[in-house]
Formats: sequence, C-alpha cells, structure tokens
Amino acid sequence: MSGMETVQIIVNAEKQAAKIIQDAEATAANIRRKIDSLIQEQRTEMLATAKKEAAALVQQAEEEGRREAESYEKESAVRTRELIARASSKKSATVEKLVGMVMQGEK
Amino acid sequence: MMSETSKFTEDILNAATEKAGNIIGEAEAETQRASDEAKTSISREAENIMRNARADAEAVKRREISEARHKSKLHEEKEKDIVMTEVLDHAKKRVLDVAKDESKYLPYLTTLVENAIRQLGDETLLIHLNKADMTRINRTNLERDVNKGLQKPIKIEWSKEPIEAAGGTIVSSPDGKTRIVNTLDERFDALESKLLVEAGKSLFGQ
Repeated sequence: MSGMETVQIIVNAEKQAAKIIQDAEATAANIRRKIDSLIQEQRTEMLATAKKEAAALVQQAEEEGRREAESYEKESAVRTRELIARASSKKSATVEKLVGMVMQGEK
Repeated sequence: MMSETSKFTEDILNAATEKAGNIIGEAEAETQRASDEAKTSISREAENIMRNARADAEAVKRREISEARHKSKLHEEKEKDIVMTEVLDHAKKRVLDVAKDESKYLPYLTTLVENAIRQLGDETLLIHLNKADMTRINRTNLERDVNKGLQKPIKIEWSKEPIEAAGGTIVSSPDGKTRIVNTLDERFDALESKLLVEAGKSLFGQ
C-alpha cells in the first residue's frame, strides 16, 4: 500500500467518524425536542384526571350533604312535632298561669 | 504498516462512537431529569387540585347541613310562635272576659281602683270607667268598698267621659295631670314581655 492510499484510508475514517458524531447530535436534538411535547402531554393527562377526580369528589360530597340534610330535616320535623304536642298539652295550664300573673293580687 | 493503519482508523471510529454514545447518553439523561422534574411538578399541581377539591367538598357538605339546620330551626320557631300566640291570645281573652263576670269583676275593679289611689296618694281623685261600667257599676257601693279597703275617706269624682277599654279604670288627679292607668288592656300589654317569657318556660321549658 502506498502512502497516498494510507492517507486516503485515514481521511475516510475521519469522515466516517464525523458522520457518526453528526448523527448522534441529530439524535440528541431529536430526543430533546420530543421531551417537551411528552411532558406537555403528561401534564394535560394528569391534570385532566385530577380535575375529573376533584369534580367527582365535590359531587359526592354534595350528594352526601343533601342526604344528611334530608335526614336531619326529617328528624327535626319529628322532634318539632313532639315538642309542639307536648306544648299543646300544657296550653290550658299556661293560660291559667298567665291570667294569674295579670290578675295577681288584684282579684 | 497495513495493520497499523487499520488500528489507527479503528481508533478514530471507536473514539467517534464513544463520543456519539456520550452525546446521546447526555441528551437522554437530561431529558430523564426534565421528565422527573416535570412529573414532580405536575403531581404537586394535581395534589393541589385534589386538596382544593377536598376543601370544597367539605364546605359543600357543611353548607347543605347548615342550611338544613337553619331551615329546621326556622320551622321550629314558627311552630312555637303559633302556640305562644295562641296561648297569649287566649290568656288576653280570659283577662278581658273577667269584665263580663260581675261577681269576679267588681272585687277586681275595686282592687284596681284602690291600688291606683294608693299609688297617686291624693285624697281627691277622678275615676274614669268605660261606657258599660259607667252604666252598670253602683258607684256608691264602689266608693264605700274603696274607702273600706283604704281605711280612710277619699273624695271620689267620676269622669263623665268614658274610656276606651275592655274594663278596669284610669284614676287621675282632678286636673288630670297625674294618672294611673289600670285598665285590663293596659295591664295585659304592660306585662306582655313577661308573659311571653313565662309562656316560653311553661310550654317549652325555656
């Protein structure tokens, strides 16, 4: 092999090496480019899931609250009915007491 | 010579391959870091959304129950108010009806007059009655009973103008400047707040 041939082989190897590095840089740039859209995609997906779960949580609380409120109102209505029934049985005695207060000592 | 050239080119290519590996590895590591950081940040954001939702949910539930309590309390108060009003109206009617039963009313009226005279402390007084009492009350007997009750002679004058009341009396100095209102209506109205408290205690144990 002549000296010229040897130089040619080395020049070719250098060109090939430069190509390898160039390709690697293009691949790296591509990897970097993709990550931004990947992150954005992940963000959109995770936040959408979180918002959906949040809405479900609030709706569930609303339903629970309504059920508890209805139950409270029913129990309260029963308590009020009982209270009024007890009070009604004391009406006559109370009227007597009030009349007595007005007439007290002057009848 | 030939094998040396080969080795040299192989070294060049090996170095290039290694560098290429480093370039790609670095990009991959960099994106992995960015991805991890982004995941942490997004998770925090998502957790924040959930935390706010939990607080909202708690508030929504509390509001529903609080509104129900308020509504029930209002209903209870309204029902109690109906009973209280009924009792108070009935009591007032009973007090005003006392005037219809002369056997009860005359001694009561005498006491009302006596008490008013004691409060005024004068020895000459003007007594006002309603129209019905002006007609039906025997004034001589009432004067006699009052003097007896007070155990001292009092000069009583009778107003010719009837008062607007269901019963009872207004006793005044002759010039009308000082007066004690002892009508049934007025006595009831004056005591109304106390009567309400008493009725509340008696009916609802308040």
